Amino acid sequence: MKPLDLGVISNNSEESLQQVLDNICAQFNLDYAAYAGVNTIDNSIHGVVNYPDAWKEHYVEQGFQDIDPTLAMAAKSVGVVDWTRLQRIDGFRKVFCDASEFGIGSTGMTIPVRGPYGDRGMFSVVRTCSEAEWTSLRNEITSGLQTHATLFHDRLMRHGRTMSEMRQPALSDREKEILQWIAAGKSQTDVGIILTISTRTVEVHLRSAREKLGALTTPQAVARAIGMGMIYPI
Amino acid sequence: MALKGTKMILVVDALNKHVHGGILDEMFRLRARVFGDRLGWDVKIEDGREIDEFDHLDPAYVIGLDDDDNVVACVRALQTTGPHMLADVFSDILQGQAPLRSATLWESTRFCVDTDRLMMTGRGVGTVSRATCELMVGSLEYARASGIEDIITVIDPVMNRVLKRSDNAPYDYVGATVQMGKTKALAALLDCSEERIARVRAFAGIEGDVFVDEDALSARRAVRSKTASVSGNVSAEVLQYLIEQIDAATTEQEISAALALADQLVGPWSEPTSKTFVAG
Repeated sequence: MKPLDLGVISNNSEESLQQVLDNICAQFNLDYAAYAGVNTIDNSIHGVVNYPDAWKEHYVEQGFQDIDPTLAMAAKSVGVVDWTRLQRIDGFRKVFCDASEFGIGSTGMTIPVRGPYGDRGMFSVVRTCSEAEWTSLRNEITSGLQTHATLFHDRLMRHGRTMSEMRQPALSDREKEILQWIAAGKSQTDVGIILTISTRTVEVHLRSAREKLGALTTPQAVARAIGMGMIYPI
Repeated sequence: MALKGTKMILVVDALNKHVHGGILDEMFRLRARVFGDRLGWDVKIEDGREIDEFDHLDPAYVIGLDDDDNVVACVRALQTTGPHMLADVFSDILQGQAPLRSATLWESTRFCVDTDRLMMTGRGVGTVSRATCELMVGSLEYARASGIEDIITVIDPVMNRVLKRSDNAPYDYVGATVQMGKTKALAALLDCSEERIARVRAFAGIEGDVFVDEDALSARRAVRSKTASVSGNVSAEVLQYLIEQIDAATTEQEISAALALADQLVGPWSEPTSKTFVAG
């Protein structure tokens, strides 16, 4: 595995990627977050972390990226990988023994992310606390973090020149129809009634549409869909 | 053998597939019998195993086992954010429409149950229904633990009826029902809510943790494969005793001790005799 570029790669966005990680940590009650991803089209590796500089330096110096199972190993999973699952692997002990000297605990998880072109990423978070606290925090935040992890991955993948060319999100007629009714001021319940589908179906399509448009909220998705000429402003 | 009904579900993904090669191999054989022979789907079968391109993309398998740790049910999960079947091979179902893509939506495919084995060894239809519900509970709970909110599942009309009968009816469908070989296929939506899981559990009377202890499972399979290879010399009682020792173990050390006991009673361990196979 090539060494990760641990620098901040954002150059044209208003908010640095490290700042995004800081915000996610604040929102979800976490100590640190790290993202690493491989763009299979131009084979570039991106990495962003908000760990303390001393730990970052030590990590790279020791070549931990080659043995750290929370990286390559965890990225192959489908489900979220709680780090307890990796404890028996040699690399884990080595990395986390050192990490504890930098005040970084081993209660954490890695969320694997897959993109449509075979691109893969991993979004790891850590919070130093008791096992019990960690379990309850994990159950509470995993769903929300999934969405953030995918948005973060997609955002970095879009940085590649090839990717941005290919990136006109493909929305289904159903997704556009639902966004169009939302743009017309209808609530999700209204839209369900109008289209004679369940509210849950409206929700699952909206979630998909938001993600394809790289939007965190529905109003943002509507604005982007209008901007891209997918739906009409009303 | 009847199903004990608890702790019979195993999740295998890229992280532990090297440990469960034998189980995966059994699963690919089961899929060949169900999707190739029984349902007549247009699937590729090589050497008695049904394996497709998605099995090479590190999917997660949720696998149901019977009392003797044989594979009796399985299903495959993939993220909808990455390559998955509805986006590619099942695109007919979507009628040319773009697939749903969401971090909290997984796709489930290749859901099947070994009805032949369960009808032969279990208590008939009840055992089949129990194994089916257990796999549903296992896959819903596995998804839910990863923060997944909904599952889109590609099934045939028979499975659709099974879902409805098990108090696990899809809340909606996407696209159309299309012909797939001898039968039809459609895409259904299921939420991974606690309510749905509770309904299926109540329907089948499933209580407690459904997930198997991986270390004990490996140990039991090792002992069984060992005793089978020295057939004639090991009584059923000895095997039963060894299995009980493993099941009673609560730590890694106790499992090792149980394996050492097996070593003494059955003879030294030789190379594993079962053929192992790992996809990808």
